[in-house]
Amino acid sequence: MHTRRTLLAAAAVAGLACSPALAQQARTPISMWIGVTGPAQEEIMRYAQEFNASQTQFEAKVEFRGQYPEQRAAAFAAFRAGNPPHIMQMFDAGTGDMFALPRATIPVSEVMQRAGVQFDPAGYIGPARGYYSRPDGTMNSLPFNVSTAVMFINDDIFTKAGLDPSKPPRTWPEVIAAANQIRERNAAECGFTTTWLAWTMLEQYSAIHDLPLSTEANGRGGLNAVLNFNDAPRARMIQTLVDASRNKAFQYGGRSNDANALFVAGTCAMLIQSSGGHAAIARDLKAKFSVAPMPFWPDVIAEPKNSIVGGASLWVFNAPNRSAEELRGVAQFLAFLARPETYVRFAKATGFLPATNAAFQTMQAEGFFQQNAGRDVPILQLTRGTPTANSSGYRFGRWTEIRDMYHEEVERALQGQQTAQAALDNTVRRGNDALRQFERSVGAAN
Amino acid sequence: MERKVVFPQKLLPYLLLAPQIAITLVFFFWPAGQAIWMSTLLQDPLGFSVQFVGLENFQAVLQDPAYLATMQRTFLFSFGVTALSMIPALLLAVMADRVVRGATAYKTILVIPYAIAPAVAGALWLFLFQPSIGTIAYPLRLIGIDWNPRIDGTDAMIVVLIASAWKQIGYNFLFFLAGLQSIPKSLIEAAAIDGAREIRRFWTIVFPLLSPTTFFLLVVNLTYAFFDTFGVIHAVTQGGPGKSTEVLIYKAWYDGLIAQDLGRSSAQAVILMFIVIGLTVIQFRYIERKVHY
Repeated sequence: MHTRRTLLAAAAVAGLACSPALAQQARTPISMWIGVTGPAQEEIMRYAQEFNASQTQFEAKVEFRGQYPEQRAAAFAAFRAGNPPHIMQMFDAGTGDMFALPRATIPVSEVMQRAGVQFDPAGYIGPARGYYSRPDGTMNSLPFNVSTAVMFINDDIFTKAGLDPSKPPRTWPEVIAAANQIRERNAAECGFTTTWLAWTMLEQYSAIHDLPLSTEANGRGGLNAVLNFNDAPRARMIQTLVDASRNKAFQYGGRSNDANALFVAGTCAMLIQSSGGHAAIARDLKAKFSVAPMPFWPDVIAEPKNSIVGGASLWVFNAPNRSAEELRGVAQFLAFLARPETYVRFAKATGFLPATNAAFQTMQAEGFFQQNAGRDVPILQLTRGTPTANSSGYRFGRWTEIRDMYHEEVERALQGQQTAQAALDNTVRRGNDALRQFERSVGAAN
Repeated sequence: MERKVVFPQKLLPYLLLAPQIAITLVFFFWPAGQAIWMSTLLQDPLGFSVQFVGLENFQAVLQDPAYLATMQRTFLFSFGVTALSMIPALLLAVMADRVVRGATAYKTILVIPYAIAPAVAGALWLFLFQPSIGTIAYPLRLIGIDWNPRIDGTDAMIVVLIASAWKQIGYNFLFFLAGLQSIPKSLIEAAAIDGAREIRRFWTIVFPLLSPTTFFLLVVNLTYAFFDTFGVIHAVTQGGPGKSTEVLIYKAWYDGLIAQDLGRSSAQAVILMFIVIGLTVIQFRYIERKVHY
């Protein structure tokens, strides 16, 4: 008797629990894998919840699958197994690999068109549009977290060293002079440092000085591009770092984001970093700081060109088991993320840039840049002047690995094991081997 | 003298063996076979184009001076880790062998590091040696040593060596202690009566009688240093600065997962497999002869 009553109660509870579950099952799940942490991750998760609350047909499921490279490896393995996520966040350096394998993904323009969702690539800021679009204007992936490299300055250390933080150094000779003064007056342990060395000192550096990374229009002209950045202006930059590290005017802080710790701890007075790191610096640094454009060499270029985008974009995987309904959901979710208000919120919360012109104008109209000094520096730097073939980004296979080759070779130069020129020669030689291997490997794929 | 038990059932032994064989097939032969097959292919990151290239990947890997340098470094690193983890373990075991009170407590404490995941051990030592705030790095600076594993390859190597070896000391300690306790006390007492001092007793009696244990640990530790130190290196240096802490297992992982060059990564995995097979053969040849169970 007792048992039967318990069973009945259990059945009733189970029945109750089932009904919302059934309602949820009716929703088509849309999976998205991301590789960002911190404020950016929290924001994206929040947008997915809001998307799910805004309609009843689809359910966006956002998952963090490790940092960008690990996440990519997991997504590629899932693709080989026939079941990739619907959407993948792919970092800047992986863009060339994706362009070389067009059968793996569906261009975002096409996803939107098939679903009948209004989408205008022309609304995106030029550098982001150029980076992620084909020559015919088809946008391959949706720019989401767009950033560029800028220089952060610790105002307190500047003042202590007798420098004026309202007049930040503009050129490399000025940066070195300021760093030397900081060291001489012992205002800080180190003058300047940089995160993402290859991204800042090779990629951004080459774009703003209008120098090519390779033949074939930085790889956009074809997979047969040959790297040729082992010239005097690029070698001088490395030599400058080597020389400046002797008196700690420069301190090397590691390959990825590690140098950020040296800045927020007050060890280094200046930091070259992704604008996407702005929110984290504002949260962690116990001092006033300001933002300045990337320095340049006035004898190489009088008017520096625009810098290039970094960050990541959203790609839609093409898999045999994808239904039209799922693709419709993907289009809806991407359109939700691409609304100007989402871009504005994301930019405000993280320091990444408003990816569309509309979002930028909204922020201007709201007076955001007046209230938050320095937040417009990256976007003004990114959109200044007329882009050249050298400042319109690049497209190489295996660029993630080539970046690390640059890191390794420069680290050896910083250890005094080789000259700056040898570091670049070795990077170019090893990088070209990797490009040829990639060219052969995808040769028969398309 | 040897007595053999004969089972009347012909099927039973095979059935009893089946689970073990199934596990070996699924977790060793299948992936190993795949690695061998993939090492003969050239394919793009997503597998659209797969070309058979024979032994080209092996040729490319073995002709790469960077790979050969990494191999040399791996052997130095592995012998370094082995020495650094076995010598202190032996010392500790000899001391613990004489402790009478609270022996279990000491033993437990000494074994704890073995239970720590390699990545965690790496992070721990990374903090201790962190140039600006590290508990060990700070005094080093005070006495005028410019300590910076971020940019100095030797410093970086020292950190990964210590972190990798430290983790293994507890394991080695246990085996040495067991080995010491199985040495007949009468031998040592006889030597003592003959007037042999402690150090002489150790080198002429204890150490030779420990040799099977030592040899077993040598092989186990070498295998550990070759394969299980990945977590430490990944957490502490990512192979850098330059390539100064890149070992074979790290390079195979990097080329496969980050560079997405599956062919060359598989070729490296196969080469590593032959190295471990070589080590195992040595182990069986020598240990089977010397160990008395």
